[in-house]
Amino acid sequence: MTYKRKKYHYGDTHLKKKWRTKRRTKDLDQIDEDLKEENAEKLLKQQVDTDKPGKAQFYCLHCARYFINDQALNEHFRTKVHKRRMKALELEPYTIEESEKAGGLGNYTAPQKRKIETQKPITEDCKRAKLEDDEMSDEA
Amino acid sequence: MRIETCYFCSSKIYPGHGMHFVRNDSKIFKFCRSKCHRAFKKKKNPRKVAWTKAYRKTAGKELSVDPSFEFEKRRNVPVKYDREFWMKSLEAIRKIDIIRQRRANHFVMQRLRKARELEIQHDVREVQRDMALIRSPAAGLKERRAQEEGIVEEVHESDDEMEVTNASEHLAEESDMEEALDSDEAPELVEVS
Repeated sequence: MTYKRKKYHYGDTHLKKKWRTKRRTKDLDQIDEDLKEENAEKLLKQQVDTDKPGKAQFYCLHCARYFINDQALNEHFRTKVHKRRMKALELEPYTIEESEKAGGLGNYTAPQKRKIETQKPITEDCKRAKLEDDEMSDEA
Repeated sequence: MRIETCYFCSSKIYPGHGMHFVRNDSKIFKFCRSKCHRAFKKKKNPRKVAWTKAYRKTAGKELSVDPSFEFEKRRNVPVKYDREFWMKSLEAIRKIDIIRQRRANHFVMQRLRKARELEIQHDVREVQRDMALIRSPAAGLKERRAQEEGIVEEVHESDDEMEVTNASEHLAEESDMEEALDSDEAPELVEVS
């Protein structure tokens, strides 16, 4: 026997929540900054942070996401979400300067295409090295 | 007082309009209206949204590279008031604006002219492909056959000569067609002999 549902209206709260600036995820130009070598190194070798998923040890630079273990991270590299992000990063990201140029402050130059590659997947060797590092730091 | 440019659509923002968004890396994004702010919150790419300046310039719809764009500058130090200097610069602004407008219009006209060329090319291709609709390939087949038979009977041995004459006839026909097209007559009226 079926009953009449109490609530039919789906609403758009879920959409509004997704795009709230409170929960804003990193923009492409921020990620572009992260891809620079010195920043990338820092993000890939973060200190143990128990508040973050996987203690902040498995981070995807391009998607700005933490994963719980190396398997989840390596699987993520093969997903559509990640590939789409790689494609989006191929072109130089849109910036405030570009918006000003388009508005007539100087010549407008079209964005250039670059080659973007996924970071190296975490292998057994890497894990071992990491563990050794941790032990060393524990001893010290 | 400063007239800002919108982050999303690159339009002017006059004092008292729009809103600012300060990202957690202390970059300031200015928006001319809620439409632009909403699009930003949805992470839309201004280069791909057809109503923005960034789109129009990346897609080559508007003039994007020109020395007249170099005049506008962001000045963070105020200039001391000097009547003569102001009058001169006002005049110059007006002049530059006229020149830029003219160049922009010229650019757009050049862009549109390309379409006309393509249209002509397309028409020519269409006529060549669908020639059979204008003139039946079977038209005058009887006479031609009769003529051929007569010729074959007359000159039985010199076959290559006949081929040459046929080819030259064919060429003449084609050139007739092109002339007719160049003179911009409607294809229905063209009669190929």
